[in-house]
Amino acid sequence: MKHMDETDRLDALLARRAKAQSPADQASAARVLANLANVPLPRQRHGWRWPNVLLDLDFAPAWPRVAALAGAAVLGCAIGFFGPTARLTEGPGWTAAQAADSDFGAVSEPELFTGARP
Amino acid sequence: MGDPSDEELMRRVAEGDERAFALLAPRYAARAVGLARRLTGSSDDAEEIVQEALLRVWINAPRWRAEAAFRTWFYRIVVNLSLNRRRRAPFAPLTEAGDPSDPSLDPAQRLERDETDRQVAAAIASLPTRQRMVIMLTYDEGLSNADAAAALDSSVSGVEALLVRAKRTLREKLRSVLDGNA
Repeated sequence: MKHMDETDRLDALLARRAKAQSPADQASAARVLANLANVPLPRQRHGWRWPNVLLDLDFAPAWPRVAALAGAAVLGCAIGFFGPTARLTEGPGWTAAQAADSDFGAVSEPELFTGARP
Repeated sequence: MGDPSDEELMRRVAEGDERAFALLAPRYAARAVGLARRLTGSSDDAEEIVQEALLRVWINAPRWRAEAAFRTWFYRIVVNLSLNRRRRAPFAPLTEAGDPSDPSLDPAQRLERDETDRQVAAAIASLPTRQRMVIMLTYDEGLSNADAAAALDSSVSGVEALLVRAKRTLREKLRSVLDGNA
């Protein structure tokens, strides 16, 4: 019973302390808010997905250059896949050079005179 | 139409709305200064901590997910910054950073009450860090055990255990005060 009374009194003391909000805190908060209002807010971070992570880490790419690089890459692929060379190889009557018989087997054949194998 | 909720304001802040940030920041600035002041024992440190915490809110707003209340998230930032500051700087005595007395009381009552509050503040200041933080978050800031657990990156049962231990220690340290109030 005494324990309960003590607990209640302690709760009351802690609650009373909690209610007391310092005017100094209000003044401090006002100063903080004034400081924030007087400076430009920094850039926000937008998460860990591409390309935000680069922006957040100040590795912001120069977009026109990236676009030029990507365009050159796409053009290179297009020429590679569908350019004049591709048409030659896929055209009618064209046969790619190909060995009819491999010389690989001759390497392991025995010499004619000695019969030695390499 | 009432004031927008914290979460609604945070959604706007996440889109870079500075006016929403200007509405949201004053809601918790004073309470956060009080919390940081009690945790660090220094009003100057508390101001810097809350300014830093508000800047972090702004910077990281796009990453914020409405899984926990904004207040819990904000207090978590304040608690972490206060702990970091305390690791770097010695703790100032709480008597210097104590709360002001109630001007409505007569001088004798005010003196007695101030003395009681000073003893309570000193007893809380002598608690281990996490126990002290639990007392501050649950009593001073009115957070539920679940919210305090989220703010301290702990479990609810962990917070409850800390509260039990903290109150047991406080009862022992404040026995004279509690007996006197009987």
